[in-house]
Amino acid sequence: MSISATDDMSIFSLVAGASLPVQLVLVVLIGTSLFSWWYIFIKIATIKKAETNAEDFEKAFWSGGDLNKLFEGLASSRRKPQGMASIFEGGFREYVRHKQQTNMDVSDVMEGSRRAMRAAYNRELDDLDAHLPFLASVGSVSPYIGLFGTVWGIMNAFRGLSNVAQATLSQVAPGIAEALVATAIGLFAAIPAVIAYNRFASSVDRLSVRYESFMEEFTNILQRKS
Amino acid sequence: MIRAYEKEVSWKAGGLAIAVHLVLLGALLISFNWKAAHTTLDVTEVELWDSIPNQAAPTPEPVVPPEPKPVVKEEIKPEPKLEPKPIVEEKPKEEPQVDIALEKKKKELALKKADEQLKKDKVLEQKKQLEALKLEALKDEAKPPVKVNKTSDALKRLQQEALAEEKTAGDQQAIGAKAAANAGAIGEFTDKIKAKIRGNVNKTLCGEGNPELKFEIGLLPTGELNGSPKLVKSSGSAACDEAVERAIMASEPLPLPKDPSLFSQFRNLNLKFRPND
Repeated sequence: MSISATDDMSIFSLVAGASLPVQLVLVVLIGTSLFSWWYIFIKIATIKKAETNAEDFEKAFWSGGDLNKLFEGLASSRRKPQGMASIFEGGFREYVRHKQQTNMDVSDVMEGSRRAMRAAYNRELDDLDAHLPFLASVGSVSPYIGLFGTVWGIMNAFRGLSNVAQATLSQVAPGIAEALVATAIGLFAAIPAVIAYNRFASSVDRLSVRYESFMEEFTNILQRKS
Repeated sequence: MIRAYEKEVSWKAGGLAIAVHLVLLGALLISFNWKAAHTTLDVTEVELWDSIPNQAAPTPEPVVPPEPKPVVKEEIKPEPKLEPKPIVEEKPKEEPQVDIALEKKKKELALKKADEQLKKDKVLEQKKQLEALKLEALKDEAKPPVKVNKTSDALKRLQQEALAEEKTAGDQQAIGAKAAANAGAIGEFTDKIKAKIRGNVNKTLCGEGNPELKFEIGLLPTGELNGSPKLVKSSGSAACDEAVERAIMASEPLPLPKDPSLFSQFRNLNLKFRPND
């Protein structure tokens, strides 16, 4: 009797037999899990791209070539420069503009180009930080959503038990099993989100340090030039 | 939702995300199926019978009622006395004794009386036959010895027949008496079971009228229920039915007779309830 009940416990029958709140929780969790994995793969791709871009640009920048040529190459390309290149482009464009005005003080020129680089840096950092808050909240909240579904499901399972004189384990087992599916999916959504968040946060930190040090070095070069 | 520069990777990322979930779903299904395949045990249902040896026992057991025995003995006793005269004299003496005994029993058991009388008559008849034969045998004794054997053979046969009849009659009577006692015990314990259940019924759930319901219950030798009670006839109100069902379950263990041979009568019981009586 109880053995036939376990035969019936496929994952589909468990989900189909769950109560409406539990099913809603499952739908929400599967949705967040899909989104967080989507963002995880997007972030993996974009951060990797930003790292290779930074490497390529640093190589080109420190190769000792003409900065004017490098700037023209970036400005004339169809694609908008990204990462370190966009910081360089913003700073150098501002520097050239100030240089054309003859009556400018050196410190003013440096200040202007620095501000332009800071603005470009902030924009870049904002792009790098994109979706990280979402991953953080999925990581911290989805276990609770799953727990809510589980508590609700177990409540129902035990409420059904109160109408029966002889309580057996087989009467609560399916309810608890279907309720625990909610916790399982919540954890499945949360664990990768937390891991990815920590990994991306450290990658973004390293990139931002790289950008900042480039900004300082580039400011020095510009100051020497002027 | 996504930045402009992320568009180029968004499709690829979406595909990968769905793939990850499909992998998880597949892993879940495989693990669940694996478990289900291993939990299907080969289950055979075994019913333990406690009453088979007891059912066989009653047949050799029956206590032969004491009344017929002395008659048999008395019947046999005269046989060794081969003299015909004393037997004939003894006969009238015997009869009044038996009659007195019968009279006493009449007062005690009015029902048994008729049977007893019939038996006595039979015994007497057989006695007369026997004595007639014996007389014949005695007469024949004077004549050729070959015939004696014949008549003595006939005598023995008659004796044996009489004994056998006596015995079977006794057996039947014993079985009959036992069956009557069993029926009494069964009725008594069915009433006890009903009374115990009735005490647990929440009568307020059964409304004003006088509903009648029938339950079929299976019992274990311990007095516990074997499975859940089956509603045979509903009272018309589900609340009342459930109240009685709960009462049956709450009344465990149900009273059962001590004699295990009677248990076979309680294995499946049909109980009729009128909660408002």
